[in-house]
Amino acid sequence: MPELRTPLLSVENLTIAFGGLVAVRDFSIAVAPGTIHALIGPNGAGKSTTFNCISRLYRPNAGRILFDGQDITRLPSSAMAGLGIARSFQNLELFNELTVYENILIGAHCHCGASLRDRLSARPPHLAAEIDRIIERTGLGAYRETKACNLDFGHQKLLELARALAIRPRLLLLDEPAAGLRNREIAILDGLLTDLARRDGLTILLVEHVMQLVMSISDRVTVLNFGTKIAEGTPQEVKSNPAVVEAYLGKETALHG
Amino acid sequence: MRFLAIAVAAAVLIALPLVTTGYVVYLANLLLTFTVLCLGMHIVIGETGQFSLAHAAFYGIGIYAAGIAGTTFGTPFPVSILIGGLAASAIGFVIGMVALRMRDIYLALATFAFGEAMQWVFLNWNAVTGGPNGLRIAPARLFGLELVTDKDAYPFVVATAIAMLVLTVIVARARLGRSFRAVRESEIAAQAMGVPVRRTKVVAFGISAFFAGIAGGMFTLFSTYIHPDSLGFQTTILVLTMVVVGGLGSIGGAVGGAIAFGLISELLRQAPSFQEIAYGAILIVFMMYAPKGLFAFLADRFRGARHA
Amino acid sequence: MDKDLILLFLQQGIVSGMVVGSVYALLALSIVMIFKTSEVPNFAQGEIFMAAGYCALFLLVFQATPVWLAVPLTLVVAFAGAALFRRVVLTQVSRASGSPVNLVIATLGLSYVLKGLVRRTGFGDTPRSFPALVSTDGVMIGQASITRLDVAIFLTALAVMAFLFCLFAYTKVGRAMRAVGMNPKAARLMGVDLQRIHMLVWGLSAVVSAIAALLISPKILMTAEMGGIVTMAFAAAIVGGFTSLPGAVVGGFVIGIAENLVGLFISSRAIVVAPFVAIMLVLIVRPQGLFGGRVAIKKV
Repeated sequence: MPELRTPLLSVENLTIAFGGLVAVRDFSIAVAPGTIHALIGPNGAGKSTTFNCISRLYRPNAGRILFDGQDITRLPSSAMAGLGIARSFQNLELFNELTVYENILIGAHCHCGASLRDRLSARPPHLAAEIDRIIERTGLGAYRETKACNLDFGHQKLLELARALAIRPRLLLLDEPAAGLRNREIAILDGLLTDLARRDGLTILLVEHVMQLVMSISDRVTVLNFGTKIAEGTPQEVKSNPAVVEAYLGKETALHG
Repeated sequence: MRFLAIAVAAAVLIALPLVTTGYVVYLANLLLTFTVLCLGMHIVIGETGQFSLAHAAFYGIGIYAAGIAGTTFGTPFPVSILIGGLAASAIGFVIGMVALRMRDIYLALATFAFGEAMQWVFLNWNAVTGGPNGLRIAPARLFGLELVTDKDAYPFVVATAIAMLVLTVIVARARLGRSFRAVRESEIAAQAMGVPVRRTKVVAFGISAFFAGIAGGMFTLFSTYIHPDSLGFQTTILVLTMVVVGGLGSIGGAVGGAIAFGLISELLRQAPSFQEIAYGAILIVFMMYAPKGLFAFLADRFRGARHA
Repeated sequence: MDKDLILLFLQQGIVSGMVVGSVYALLALSIVMIFKTSEVPNFAQGEIFMAAGYCALFLLVFQATPVWLAVPLTLVVAFAGAALFRRVVLTQVSRASGSPVNLVIATLGLSYVLKGLVRRTGFGDTPRSFPALVSTDGVMIGQASITRLDVAIFLTALAVMAFLFCLFAYTKVGRAMRAVGMNPKAARLMGVDLQRIHMLVWGLSAVVSAIAALLISPKILMTAEMGGIVTMAFAAAIVGGFTSLPGAVVGGFVIGIAENLVGLFISSRAIVVAPFVAIMLVLIVRPQGLFGGRVAIKKV
């Protein structure tokens, strides 16, 4: 039972408001280590807001965020990578004019080494094997020296993931990794994420609209609507929860798809 | 290809003082100084993507600091040059700290305002800069050596320029250079990768100002006089134009742009109004049709022709 | 300094400051108008102002065109020139790269071209005086002395501002301009022709700058460098928050009055540097200006 273990990430009573508008109200979630946890909900439910708050882009109005027992609520966004929290972006935030290799190398920013020689090195040798492995795993082998902006959309999504992996994350935050992907690409992503969790023991929290992926890979699913949590449980439990069905009214087909 | 370019450049640099007259050597000194200014501009705008319109001010700080050190205190010139660079970078760091608070457009305006304010300081701080009378700069000294003519200064100007070029390459290849480019491409993603965005920007400003200050120090090697009039916005624009013409974001572009546009600019000096029209027209045309600069434009054409 | 003198200086400073401030406000409005719709700080605004002034000078003095013809002609030339620049040059620049840095560089290019052109014609070589269209007889306001021309400048500037506010508030095209400023994508979906609006905004902005030039030119000596006055307008726009039209107007008056008070109480040499110091201070202490909203959170 994964939920009995100490959570790797726990969000407690998070409230986020923009101006007078409350986007997320009193939201709590606990993500157990080594699990894949999905955050779903209709558009505007506050999923991405929660997400950006966990990765410290937004400041919450109330509540706290604990990572591995440490309170990270007040830490700057740039401190996340060092702790082992990596994220991808919904609308792609790649380093467009740089090559695939350089994108991934910047992901490894925190692991470049402290010695002067390492710092001055264009391609630190001690990272070469690791980056090669990431490139191979994400299937970007043919595009090492291609500029990120010249990749097709599916490969750009994969590059976001590859770059996040170079952080050597313990927690991977994925903001709609499957959005815009074709079925074949979603299947690859499915296999890759499952593999990362099961084999490498990575903890993954993802926001996703593609139910086919969510239902296939998630250990737990949390459902948000209008900024509050309306359900949580295994994919099966959530799917049959009446409150969830109601929130998705008219989207039932998507939920079962 | 690259080896050939370096070989040609080396041959030209060595042959120049042997086969030409004082004026050409003076021009070479000036172009090399502008090359270093361009490298500094490249680091802040090309690598890091931050607007800086205060380059002339940092250049001026370098000139006055190095000039006063050498003339009044008689420091040996390598020390004077370094003083120029350090003085400029100290102020560059401070400006960088302020710049942290702003985004692109405001940054452009703030650095522009700082540049204008500095020119005013140069013009009015009579006790130090000589104000509107300008400042006489004594010939640079090192032990018994005294650099009187342009040809005397030339080898040292060349050596400094090469040293700064090498430094630029080292910075660009290093982790710091990757951080610069990460900030340029996406601040949000850079932050998520653990790149301290604010600190990286300050460092970029500081280094860029250091280059401008060193360029100021180089200027004191072959010049005997500086007047605040030549340290205004148009000098910043000149440097910006060079970098844009060469190609934003590439070191080769910054160097090539400095040399190519420096020569054009020198040819146009005879007719100031034409010079202005030409500067402006070049900026506009490049932004319209060759935003990546002359060399990238030619390379594209060349490649296109080969494929056709 | 005794009390009476301080009072006199204060009155004079405020009244003169209102007059030149109204011109700064017009220029600041031209800058903010463009910035709001295209996110470009137009570094050529000062040169557009200068070129329009020379165009009027050329028509009035060298061609002896009557005022009723010369003024509209100048405005038309300014409108057409700026709209054309937007349409031909900036459209291509954004197509080629789309980076705001490149757009800014293109406006810097325009400023140099205009300056060079004016010098080329020969008029820009020596300082010239622009004929006053209104008498320069003195008028007293309290203890402050100004001229009829000053009064005319102030009232015309106010009229232009009133016109602009009506335009943005009540006309269809004005509302379209505001919509483009707020959300260009949404505006396009609502059927707004972006290209046309951009051209109109640039043209309108140039007309406002040209009016500013017609107003202030009789009070100063014209040179090809007179566009430098735009620094005051940038300072005004920044004080006002850079995206707020009312802010630009208030900023203009603040800068105008501050300039005159600095000149009267401190020294005329300090006037030159004051706006730059003001720009830096405002940007450091309150980057969003006095009227700008909070910096929007970028959605990722």
